[in-house]
Amino acid sequence: MTSVRKMTALTRAGITESLQFRLGTAVTLFANLIYLALVYYLWKAIYASSGTDVVNGMTFYDTMIYLILATAIFNFLEMFIVWDMSRAIQSGEIIMHLLKPMRYRKYIFWSYSGSLVMSFVQTFIPTFLVVAIITRGAIPMGWNLLSFAVSLLLALVVNYNIEMLVAPICLYTESTWGINIVKETIVLLLSGATIPLAFFPEGLRRVVDYLPFRAVYDIPLRVLLKKGGTDTWQGLLPALGLQLVWCIVLSILGNLFWNRAVKRITVNGG
Amino acid sequence: MEKSLRQKRGFLFYVSIYKKILLQDLKSKMSFRADFIISTFGMVLTNLSGFVTFMILFHNFPSINGWDYHHMLFLYGFSLIALTPVQCFFDNNWNLRFMVRSGDFIKYCFRPINVFFYFISEVFDVKGLGQFAFGLATFIYAWAHIGIPVTAVTIAEAVLFLITASLFMIALMNFAAATCFWIINSGYVMVIMFRFKDFAKYPASIFNGVFRFIFTFLIPIAFVAYYPSLVFVTPDNVPLLSWLSPLIGALFFWLSYKFWMLGVRKYDFTGS
Repeated sequence: MTSVRKMTALTRAGITESLQFRLGTAVTLFANLIYLALVYYLWKAIYASSGTDVVNGMTFYDTMIYLILATAIFNFLEMFIVWDMSRAIQSGEIIMHLLKPMRYRKYIFWSYSGSLVMSFVQTFIPTFLVVAIITRGAIPMGWNLLSFAVSLLLALVVNYNIEMLVAPICLYTESTWGINIVKETIVLLLSGATIPLAFFPEGLRRVVDYLPFRAVYDIPLRVLLKKGGTDTWQGLLPALGLQLVWCIVLSILGNLFWNRAVKRITVNGG
Repeated sequence: MEKSLRQKRGFLFYVSIYKKILLQDLKSKMSFRADFIISTFGMVLTNLSGFVTFMILFHNFPSINGWDYHHMLFLYGFSLIALTPVQCFFDNNWNLRFMVRSGDFIKYCFRPINVFFYFISEVFDVKGLGQFAFGLATFIYAWAHIGIPVTAVTIAEAVLFLITASLFMIALMNFAAATCFWIINSGYVMVIMFRFKDFAKYPASIFNGVFRFIFTFLIPIAFVAYYPSLVFVTPDNVPLLSWLSPLIGALFFWLSYKFWMLGVRKYDFTGS
């Protein structure tokens, strides 16, 4: 079997599996709509109280699109790698994965790819369309959609690498919930998913610029909204380049950490 | 004989049982000390992150819908305290779907005490206490800055309204958890409901029309902080819903309990 077929086999399996839970998709989509209403009313009230239409270069619609699509990206990218790995370690099942003719890191990525494709089609695209309609064309439709797609793909890889960097900690402690909540809180706050990075005070902004988290939410959304000069090649390429650099750096770090941590595995009995 | 046994099962009987179960749970938790420390750190971090978000928001916008910084802080503190009981006492709801699926849930049905009580009392989540401390500090700070009088009446009101406000989130999570008796893999319902709580700290006056209704009566997050807070923030102009919130909270809790128990009965009947 060629390696491409190995990978697409896992993708297909994931797609079939997520088709099983159609109710979950419907409920998630419905909840996203209610969430959309919450964000809409909250920021409408905030902008109404501020007296100006543009705050830190963001209009009301910009902010809304940014935050709702951040939630949609969160749902789309959500991987439970930390949980999966901890469960595999505690049950001893991990040893079966290590014996497979594919590197564990690679195996995880491709076995998630199917559900990622499905959640993109079933929840991200509908949410995107609803936002585009509600904000009456405030999402610029042009080449930026293509660069957004590229940026989103890079965001996916960065997010996966962050997960894979954190997950092996489970080999050192059993505190899965704790590790996961620390990771999630840091990523969501410092990536702009909770509140757009444009609103951060200057000092905090400069710190966040040097961290990988904005590559997951802030950069793709900025590309989509054509903010921060990303509507020109001179602005777009450095943004995508930064994402690529983080993909590579985090991947190397994750590999090193995993190779080190995996030596700790001792499975009792068999 | 049977009658005397039943008489014994009053409030005090359940309190003493709760103490015993709680002690066992704490003992087993303390044996995983690293987990305890990391989880507590994570919990403090989420509260800190919420606070940073709040500060960034006010760094850009001086007021929201007529609510200034200290009034918003009051709402925020109120919601944090009101969300503590669901975290501390009702955390086992998150395990319900695994128990039901694996069949381990049956053990709760064989004890001569209330199933809901037994299941819920099994876990006490210590890390919720950090949130309580954080919320209380914010609440007192905002209380002092707004200049709400400190009298026996206002303190009694604060205790009453905080406790009853907490019932709303508990009820929501009970409803969400109990869906697992009917739907396989219903974890997402809980995740979604839990996410709505982030909006409890904003004044519900920002909603209008249908959504005002939804967030007041269907997904009642407006009762977690907004309506009860009005009793303290605008004492001259308190809407009827604020005064009724303890009653509505009790009703919601009772309904969620009935729904939960309905699920248990359905579970019983499947046999296996």
